[in-house]
Parts: sequence; structure tokens; C-alpha cells
Amino acid sequence: MTTASEHARPALAPAGSWRLPLGSARSGRSLLLDKRACVANLLLAAALWAACVASLCLGEVSITPRAAIAGLFGYGDFMDVFVVQELRWTRLLAGVLSGGAFALAGCLMQTLARNRLATPGIIGLDNGATAFAVASVLGVGLGIAPPAMALVGASVATAIAFGLAGGIGTQGYRFLVAGIGVGAAFDAITRLMLARSAIDAANAAYPWTVGSLNGVGALALNMLAIGLVIGLIGAAALARALGVVRFSEGVAQGLGIRVAHIRLGALVLSVGLTALAVAVAGPVGLIALIGPELARHLSSRRGVPLMGATLAGALLMVVADLAGRVLFSPIEIPVGLISTVVGAPVLLWILLRPGHKIGV
Amino acid sequence: MNGRPRIAAGAPQRRVRLWFALLCAATLLVCVASLLFGAGAIGPLDSLDTLIRALSGHTSDDNAWFTIESLRAPRTAIGVLVGAALAVAGALLQAVTRNPLAEPGLLGVSGGATFAVAIAIALGADAASLRVPVAQFGALAGCVAVLAASRVRGAGDDPVRLVLAGAVLSGLLYALTSLILLFDERTADEIRFWVVGSFAGRRPDDVIALLPGLAVAAVVVVGIARPLAALALGEHVASGLGHRPRLVRLLVVLAVALLVGSATAIAGPIAFIGLVAPFVARGLAGPDVRTTLWLCLPIGAVLTLGADVVSRLVVRPSELPLGVLTALIGAPVLVAVVRSRRLPTL
Repeated sequence: MTTASEHARPALAPAGSWRLPLGSARSGRSLLLDKRACVANLLLAAALWAACVASLCLGEVSITPRAAIAGLFGYGDFMDVFVVQELRWTRLLAGVLSGGAFALAGCLMQTLARNRLATPGIIGLDNGATAFAVASVLGVGLGIAPPAMALVGASVATAIAFGLAGGIGTQGYRFLVAGIGVGAAFDAITRLMLARSAIDAANAAYPWTVGSLNGVGALALNMLAIGLVIGLIGAAALARALGVVRFSEGVAQGLGIRVAHIRLGALVLSVGLTALAVAVAGPVGLIALIGPELARHLSSRRGVPLMGATLAGALLMVVADLAGRVLFSPIEIPVGLISTVVGAPVLLWILLRPGHKIGV
Repeated sequence: MNGRPRIAAGAPQRRVRLWFALLCAATLLVCVASLLFGAGAIGPLDSLDTLIRALSGHTSDDNAWFTIESLRAPRTAIGVLVGAALAVAGALLQAVTRNPLAEPGLLGVSGGATFAVAIAIALGADAASLRVPVAQFGALAGCVAVLAASRVRGAGDDPVRLVLAGAVLSGLLYALTSLILLFDERTADEIRFWVVGSFAGRRPDDVIALLPGLAVAAVVVVGIARPLAALALGEHVASGLGHRPRLVRLLVVLAVALLVGSATAIAGPIAFIGLVAPFVARGLAGPDVRTTLWLCLPIGAVLTLGADVVSRLVVRPSELPLGVLTALIGAPVLVAVVRSRRLPTL
């Protein structure tokens, strides 16, 4: 998205992009912005803003947008303040952060595996993180906090999935189906633990298994916020190299990029973001597939739409949660179910349409 | 699984017969174990004592005999029937799509049956007898979807891609089933314990309701085994030998729908049996679908009933959903098949 041009003299910007000079004209440093990506990101940000306001306003009790925003800062009617601050704000924050983290992780993993379908949810990371987090909630593990255990679980699942990819590569469908096997095994372990535990503990662990933004813990949310900031900075640092890694390894090496380092960095970021997001929202893996897909459709094909994917994922998560709360009002539909019902047809369409490619 | 063609008829035939006999003996053993072990207070020694007395003609009315006769016996019968049905359905589906990964549970056939039953109950049907045909209809729809996807240009040639699409379809169907459960509490109460896959609490009448569908499926399977083996050599070869590939495919779909629908109606969706049993059968006897189908009967029964017995013992005094154990057995097999250097073609 952003590229530092290293020309000594001010040059004309390439077609379809803007050149922003940085510092004095003599220093020659400038920023190259892709026009279409900028417009797409602005659009997504505006949509996200609208969705956030709607999410604060709508629900069992409807509030006007003005009152909702005033209530957020503690002004206005007592009831409005309570509903917005105590009930809806945490939930909205959880939705924005987890959606952004899922989608950014998905975009990174798709790029490093060079496979459009290789998102953390499909190759079993979500299920691994869930299994370990549930173990922590039930006290099977060592009493480490759920987010930390989710990190361990996601790392284990990643190690298994990529270990199994040795020899079959990450680009084909075999990698994905091996990952489905890994995910199924972890899912079975989760259910085994839930069946063995007392009913109270099992109820406490249940939200982990369906994917819901109900009752988000403060610790998990704080860790996710920190993780997403680190993830965005890291992704921005990797963005340029990742844009080249998309092509063949030879091309990337020829351009002087240390492919193994870049891949490892992207993998670590992706695993961390997924684990922290799972610790907040449970396994809502399909956001990681649809978010980047939406961003890729909107922005140009030149770079890796990391920022766009983050915004799109946050938007999708907020909209899915809002729809789950509002559509069939007394009944609340978990966000995991909505994302599956909407995301699965998208995935099927990608898979089955003729003449498709799964390269990024 | 090395796929070497076995041309010499004598020795392999004898070996297959030997394996078949051994596996039938194993099935018997597992059946006895299923009668003896349970999650409740009746221990294996009590059960054995009661069972021996019953066999020698001294029936008694005590607790142990009640447990064995009306709780464990139907359960054992269901385990054998469901296991054999799912295994044969898997072998058939794999033969007709020529894809060693085609498994009714993974591809959305069981998911279709589950979804159909959930809709029927939500719409007000509650007769247990209605459940079997409804599930068979749903399984038929799932089968048709799978075959349609396998005919899509590109996807059908790639076995792994078909499985991926099936897994996605399956996930979609289960999500829709969960949605129905959310909206309708009565439905949720009726099928919550069924939807996770279990043999517990089924009555002898439920077993009898399965028999017509399974009998029809058995007749169809016996009739199409030969044409199916010819179809494995390719469509042209099969037509040249005087078989009609379209008719064969249609009959296979019907048989799979009957088998999976019956199994799902009584036991809920159980994945991976249809993958593991044919995998083991091909490993023992080579790729000929006729021997595979025979061997699948006892292998499926042993696997399913064995998993059920273990599921009663692991978390006593409660029980484990059966799908958990089959997934723990099946997932490594799935990974192994996917990773094999050259996917064995059927």
C-alpha cells in the first residue's frame, strides 16, 4: 500500500498512485500511495464507523445515534449511559478487535502459504487454540490464563499443520485437507474434555466452542488490543516484502529478500493474532477467509491488502454480531453461526467455480 | 494400499476369506464385550454370570438381566448395523466417485440427513417412525449435491478438492441445523442428544424400523457390485463390458442414501467410519471393490461397536459422544491418506 520511493530526484508517480513528498524536496524521500487501495480503505473505514454506531444504537433498547455517542462519554440519560457503556461498548470493542485480528491473520497466512484458502480456521489453528483454552477454563491444564493457553494451542496446531505440509507443500488442496484432519482431532479433544467435566465448568467453557461475543473477559480483550497493535506494526513492516513473496521464491530472492525470515515473521504474527482473537470470540474462522477476500476485491491487485483486510474483518464481525442480536430479537444467534452460514457459500463458490486459481 | 494388481486368483482369495473369518470372530467378541461392559453399576462379572445363566435357560427378572436385555442388547444390534451400513456406504461412494477420501460424513451426506430430520421435527413431525424416511431423503439430497460437485469441471478430477468442498458443505448444514435448534426449543430437546451421535437409549422398535431400508440397500449392493468393479476401470470399459454407467451411478446413490439415512436416523451423524473401514479393507485385500465391500461389513461393525464400548468406559458414570472417538481414530487416517505420495486411485 505504501512504498518509500528511493529515487534521488522527484519522479512522476506511476499510473494509479499518488506521490506524497516527505520532508524537504531535496531529501527526495516520498511516499507512494495506491489510489484504489486508499479509496477502498477509506470506504471500509466509513462503513466500519457506520456499523459501530449502529451497533451501539440498536438492540433490545434502541437509542438515537446522538444519545449513543453522548452516552459513550458519560453524558445524557442514565439508562442510555448504562446500556451503551456497560453492555454494548465492550462487545463492540471485542467485535472490532477480534474481527480485525482474524482477518489480518488470515491475510498474512494466505500470503505466506501462497494459497487463498489457507486461513488459520481451515487448517485447524482455531480448533487447537480452542482446545487449549477450554482445558485452561476447566482446569485440566496448568492454570495458565485462557489467552496464553490459546497461544500455546495455536502454536501446537500450526507446528502440526506445517509439519505435515513437509513434502506436500502449502500451495495445494492437500495441505488444507490435512489441516481439516488436524482440526477435527482437536475438536474431538475439546468435546472429550467438555464431556468429562462437571456441568458448571462445562457451561463456563461452552461459549468457546460456538464462537460468541457474550461475556468477554477484560484480560483477554486487553491482550488482544495490544496484540493487534503489534500485529499491525509488524504487518506494515513486512508489507513490502510480502508483496514480493507472493511471487515465486526465486523472484523474491533475486530482489534481495530473505524469504525464510519474512515467512517466519508472518507466520508468528498470524498465529499470535489468531490465538488472541480466539481467546476473545471463540472459533469464528471464516472471517479470516471472507475479510481478505472482500479487501482483495475492493483494492488493486498490486500489493497485499493488509490494512484493507483488517478493516473488512472488523466490519464483517461487527455486522455479523449486530445481525445476530437484532434480526430475531429475543433469540440471539452466536456470531460463529452467522459467519458460517454466510461464509460457507462464499468458500464453496471460490472452490467450485470453473477456471479458478488458489494462488494469492 | 500399495495398489499392486492382484491377478493370481488362488492365494489372495484364500487370504481374503481368512481375514473375513477373523474379522467376523472379532465382531462376535466385541458384541460380547458390548453386552458385558456398561457405564452403570452392573459390572462385567455380574453380567457374564447372568448371561451364562440366560444361555442355559435360567432367565431371571433381576436388574442385571433387565440391563442386558433391554439396554445393552438393542444397543449392540444398532452398533453392528450402523457400523456395517456406514462402512459399506463409504466403500460405495469411494468407488463411484473414484476418490479414496469420499466419506459420507465428510462430504455432507450425513449432514443432509441431520438437517432434514431437524426441519421435519421443527415442522411438527414427532413420530420416530417418520424419522427414517426423512433422513433417507436428506441423505439422498446430500448425495446428489456431492455427485453434482464432482461433475463440476476441474473439481471432479481432484479428489482432495472435492473433499474440501464437502467439508465446507457439511459445516454449512450443521450450522443451519444449530440455527433451527436455537429457534425451536421443542426440537432442541428432542434432538439435542441425537445430533451428537450416540447409541444410548434406543428401543428395539427403533432397530426394527431400520430393517426394510437396510434390506433394500443390501439387495441393490449385491446387484451392482460387479458393474461397479467394471466402472472402476473407467466409463468406456464399463460400457464396453455391457454395463450402463449412469444406471449404476443412480443405484449407488440410492443405496448410499438408504444406508446413511438409516444409520443417521437412529444414531445421529457419525463421521469417519466410512473412511476408515474401506481404508483398512483395501489395505487387507487390495483395491477390488467386491472384496472391499465384503470386508467392510465386519470392519465397520468392529470399529463402531468397539468405539461405543470404549465411549461407555472412558468417562464413567456418564458417556462420551460416539463422534468424538471416531474422529480421534479417523483424523489420523485422513491425514495419512492425504499425505500419501500418490493418492491411490480407485
